[in-house]
Amino acid sequence: MMEAGVVIDLNGEPLHWHLPVDRTVVSLPDSRPLWDIVWENREKIAGIAHSHPGGGVPGPSYEDVTTFSAIERALGRRLKWWITSADAAIVAVWTGPGLLTYSSTLCKELEWMKKLRQISNDVHVANATILFAREGERP
Amino acid sequence: MTMHGPIRPEEARVNVTYGGKNGDLPDPVHFDSTDGDIRGWVTEAVRAGSIPGIDADPNADFRDFVVDRFEANEARPHRLIQMRPKTPFGGHEARVRAALDWALVEYASTLAKLAQ
Repeated sequence: MMEAGVVIDLNGEPLHWHLPVDRTVVSLPDSRPLWDIVWENREKIAGIAHSHPGGGVPGPSYEDVTTFSAIERALGRRLKWWITSADAAIVAVWTGPGLLTYSSTLCKELEWMKKLRQISNDVHVANATILFAREGERP
Repeated sequence: MTMHGPIRPEEARVNVTYGGKNGDLPDPVHFDSTDGDIRGWVTEAVRAGSIPGIDADPNADFRDFVVDRFEANEARPHRLIQMRPKTPFGGHEARVRAALDWALVEYASTLAKLAQ
């Protein structure tokens, strides 16, 4: 298993799969290319999802919420932050008033979550930044 | 920080993204300035509304932003410093434990298949 991320557009579709070379089983590294994608598509992004290892209800780490907050301050608007585990998913949103006050709720299964788990679990997927032009396309 | 005139080889333009807007500090800074100094100057400038293109925000906070540095190139004859939000995820102790649990389950499952 390797953590993976995906940028979701306002239609609920994957816009960009984030599979950096130096991702690990428990982390995704700082990535300027990810920020460039977010900034270039800032008008059409609903949020960003990433996978956690193992099962159970996932929760954001301190690293996660500080990243949520920094990206939202740069964009000037709030996003949704999904996190998946092997068998559950949550969505975190800023609820304030503190800079890092995010609340998580269990999330229904969304179509792209299956693919996010597949990509996370398939250690043979090449570590690369991959753009999915069409639904159903595999890396 | 304030150094008027053209950008010298040891200086850099500072580009900032904040509040959905993007702009440059009016004056270049020394390329080797520390991240902390750059963060402080940018914070002060955005709070004061002195970056063209970025709305003044008295509560501007650049905590968890990173400083990227770029050398000059053919397209851009001067050095560039950019402040952008950090983007890593992870690093949670519980997540490490979950990963180890998951690996053990996978290992046990593989052993069971091999034993069949």
